[in-house]
Amino acid sequence: MPKPTSPRVHDRRKFLKKTAAATGAAIVAPTIIPGSALGLNGTVPPSERVIVGGIGIGNRGTYDLGCFLQQDDVQFVAVCDIKKQRRLAIKKMVDGQYQTDKCEMYRDFRELLDRSDIDAVLIATGPNWHATASMYAAKAGKDMYTEKPVTKNIEQSLILADTIRRTGRVFQVGTQRRNLPHFAFACELARTGRLGKLKRVYAHPAGMQAMMSGWLTPEDLPNKEDVDWDMYLGPAAWRPFNKKHLDGFNFEKGGGLVGGGVLEWGSHCVDLCQWAVDDCPPPVEYDPPKDGQLVSRYENGTELIFRETGWIPLGSCPVRFEGEDGWVEAGDSGKMVLSSPELLAGRTVDEIGGYPATFHVRDFLDCVKTRGLPKGNAEAACNAHIACHAANIALHLNRQVKYDHRKHEFIDDAQANRLRSEALREPWRL
Amino acid sequence: MRHTIFKILFLAMAVGLPFSSATFAQNDSAATEADLIALLQSDAAPADKALACKNLAIHGSANAVPELAKLLPNEQLSSWARIALEAIPDSAADAALRDATQSLQGKLLVGTINSIGVREDAEATDLLAAKLIDEDAEVASAAAVALGHIGSEAAADHLRGALADASPLVQSAIAEGCVLCAEQMWIDGNTDKAIEIYDEIRESELPKQRVIEATRGAILARGDEGIPMLMDLFSSSDKHMFNLALGTAREFPGTNVDKEFAKALADTTPDRAGLILLAMADRSDSVDLPTILAAAKEGPASVRLAAVRALGQVGDASCLPTLLEISLEQDNELRAQAQATLAELPGDAVNAQIVAQLDQASGTIYPLLIDLVGQRRIPAKDSLMKALAHNDAPVRAAALRALGETIDPDGLEVLIGQVIEPRHPGDVEIAQRALKAASIRMPDPNLCAAKLSEALTASDSLPTQIAILQTLGAVGGPKALETVGKAAGSSQDELQDVGSRLLGTWMTADAAPVLLDLSQQAESNKYKVRALRGYLRIARQFVLPEGERAAMCEKALAAATRQQEKELVLQILARYPNAPNLKLAMVAMGDPNLKDQATEVAMTIAQKVGASEADLQALLSQSDLGQIELEILSAQYGAGSQQKDVTALVQKAANDLPLVILSAPSYNDALGGDPVPGTQKQLTIRYKMNGQEGEATFTENAPIFLKKPN
Repeated sequence: MPKPTSPRVHDRRKFLKKTAAATGAAIVAPTIIPGSALGLNGTVPPSERVIVGGIGIGNRGTYDLGCFLQQDDVQFVAVCDIKKQRRLAIKKMVDGQYQTDKCEMYRDFRELLDRSDIDAVLIATGPNWHATASMYAAKAGKDMYTEKPVTKNIEQSLILADTIRRTGRVFQVGTQRRNLPHFAFACELARTGRLGKLKRVYAHPAGMQAMMSGWLTPEDLPNKEDVDWDMYLGPAAWRPFNKKHLDGFNFEKGGGLVGGGVLEWGSHCVDLCQWAVDDCPPPVEYDPPKDGQLVSRYENGTELIFRETGWIPLGSCPVRFEGEDGWVEAGDSGKMVLSSPELLAGRTVDEIGGYPATFHVRDFLDCVKTRGLPKGNAEAACNAHIACHAANIALHLNRQVKYDHRKHEFIDDAQANRLRSEALREPWRL
Repeated sequence: MRHTIFKILFLAMAVGLPFSSATFAQNDSAATEADLIALLQSDAAPADKALACKNLAIHGSANAVPELAKLLPNEQLSSWARIALEAIPDSAADAALRDATQSLQGKLLVGTINSIGVREDAEATDLLAAKLIDEDAEVASAAAVALGHIGSEAAADHLRGALADASPLVQSAIAEGCVLCAEQMWIDGNTDKAIEIYDEIRESELPKQRVIEATRGAILARGDEGIPMLMDLFSSSDKHMFNLALGTAREFPGTNVDKEFAKALADTTPDRAGLILLAMADRSDSVDLPTILAAAKEGPASVRLAAVRALGQVGDASCLPTLLEISLEQDNELRAQAQATLAELPGDAVNAQIVAQLDQASGTIYPLLIDLVGQRRIPAKDSLMKALAHNDAPVRAAALRALGETIDPDGLEVLIGQVIEPRHPGDVEIAQRALKAASIRMPDPNLCAAKLSEALTASDSLPTQIAILQTLGAVGGPKALETVGKAAGSSQDELQDVGSRLLGTWMTADAAPVLLDLSQQAESNKYKVRALRGYLRIARQFVLPEGERAAMCEKALAAATRQQEKELVLQILARYPNAPNLKLAMVAMGDPNLKDQATEVAMTIAQKVGASEADLQALLSQSDLGQIELEILSAQYGAGSQQKDVTALVQKAANDLPLVILSAPSYNDALGGDPVPGTQKQLTIRYKMNGQEGEATFTENAPIFLKKPN
């Protein structure tokens, strides 16, 4: 059952703590490490470009890919998708960008990972594949930008963090709000004590119903070249082909017995709450939902509250942090509301609405080059995802559960403990 | 009990439903397990057995293992059975998985071995060791990784023994298993053995990634004795090994490694030096600052740039003179980075040094120091006032910016004066921006707004007045609201325009009465409409007590002269279904132009607040829909060509009311399941009302309100 395996020899979170602006500097979009600081001048020669491949590039992936293609130091060379239609569409997009015919297409991502020229991969499959594909990529020596939610259960979250550490790879989960100024500032206020002792952090789960996809009526299996159903199922338990599964969005979202629920949006807004509490271990106590709220508690008593309503209208993915001396609320409009203007302390905060991923992608690419720790690193993602999975388990069992983050197990709770992991379909393993 | 569970299971599976949480929420595990085992023993469909396996992951015990084990050779259900077998704590599950390896082959065998690995079943060590030479490379690889998960010395010995003779594909998996074993030994305190394994792997001919993993482990497990190995990596000609050094350097524990980085810097190329400097800076607790500072002072531009950036993370007051010098150099990129670093450099001592230099400064460093005062928010009003009188425009501009960032409430008049009576007309725009920056951070918004309001009155320049109004809008609070409200209601069109716009985006609900008043009193119809829409924005978006929102809607309805705004009011009522809003919707039913929409909204609210049928009848009696005869002719639920006939269910729910209240708010729940999972569906009803045929279509889960056919 879940256990951390890879020794944590140095607290890598310190890298990020130190970068929090402590003076009066304005909060702007993350500064990009200039190419000249990395020994690059002017146009980026082919030898200095990050060679990227894409795995499972659907709607969201196409947006992410656009962010990669904007970067001068990226060369996108290959796409893998189980759908022929998507392979062709992405090849057309990439070849159109470069005015070449060189984007290679693959149906099996392992063939793409076998290419020694590829440095990094964009993984934007459905959530069913995120963790497993990331693990294969890491073991193949690739750095990876993986969409969220990245894991399907607690065990996957722990193994992901361990694998990234053990393999020495750079991993960025698609939590792009960590690289937007107003969210960063709000989290900084909470993290650095400017709000006083932190009492509550709020996340908007946008839905608290656990579910998984079903076993639909069998349909004729399509030609493998057109749709590789076996590869689409991947690590998910077997079921017959039915094209309704193929939208990718509702298929095994979040995983098995417990999934979906607070995970889809929680992997964004709980992630921000985790940043606000300095990426500490996840809450230790989770109450069942009541009156549209699911309350959980960190070891120090701070509450993480999943709340559906009561938000200031600041756009999607709102978060709110309340301390003894003040509060801040922020959302996807790029705006935030403070309990007092004094919290700004004269600083200006760039308002970037619409949650673009450009800065997050840039952060990832910089870290690929410097081998630093990106904002959406595996350990941060692990803790945020565990918080969501544990909340889902409380939701699913409809009772309180208590989580021991040192042993990575629920306390005296056999049922909850059995929900920490789930077998992968053969031949896949983590 | 059995009947209930079966009913849930079959209902869920038969219609291809997503498995809902409720399906699994059973507490009596023993009784549940017996039912689930019985289902596995029956001739139930595979789909039902799959779901039973999922449930046994929670409720199963040793009793369930035999039936689950029977499914391991089943290509469709093997993965489902392993979900339960991996989760059941009893050792019977281990035994079943081990037994299955004797008869399974191919992928099913691989899956079973993977499960053994997940369960870390040490009793399977010899069995797995035998599989390391299986002719199926996937089986051998799975066994290797499973041994790695077991992580014992015996497992490691088997893996090391098989490494040399294995095929390249299996070798990689064996190496992975070895690294996993080494890691476990390291955790367990058996460091010497761990290092021995790491060294064996890193010195073997293996795929690069395996060597990288072993090298990382070999360095870190050695502690300080691993420092020379780490330094060797920095001079490796292999880019991957150099990258490994950068990552491992950040992880390396203790403080003894930091001094060694200077040597690595001295012996490397400029591009690599920049990367080493960034890695050094990430070790903030033990960083070797003098080395980074020295790299910032001289050397190749790219190295200096990286060093200056690194100082932003780890620098202190000792770095100030160097950074100031660099801030005045010719190289644009270096200069900009130095200025950015100066703005972030932590410490009060830095501030004290900047202030000390400020009064003696001249030339190009003078505006630079002033900007730093502003960026770092150092209180230095006297020095900034002196700079404000300077002859050079760049100095005055920097002083204005700095005042905007630093001035306290007592000094606000200084900036106001610069805005309404500028000594240099060219400074006005910067002064206005500075005033706004200062105003929005004032601790008492009302006091600030009072001063700005006085300035507004004192100014006879329209552009200045507009700038002050915009600043007031940013400040907010009751006083600002009062002044902006007056401007919106003034006789000057430009001020009306700016004022009404600001009110329309006001961030607090106390703007509502001002907007309502403006919507009635404004001279121009354009501003009346704008104000009313601003008022409705507050009613729609803000958190308000129920009664207050309803009262606002009532006033808006009375004030609205156009159909568009009246319909917006109805939309707000529907958005917040409660008793006061229901009452208001019923009032609106009396307006002939709103009757249809208002009736629909009233019905929607009534349904959402749980009104009884009698209540609804009473409600309908107020409209001409009170007495109807309704017959449902047909009802189809689905998307596109995939439709399900739900006529009987809708007929059952219908009464002689235009509102059809289903048995559950969710169409899927009320209409027997989800016909097209993952797709937005529609419900189409053909009906006859008072003898006239009609048809209506509803988006999934919308209230079903049938209108009178035309």
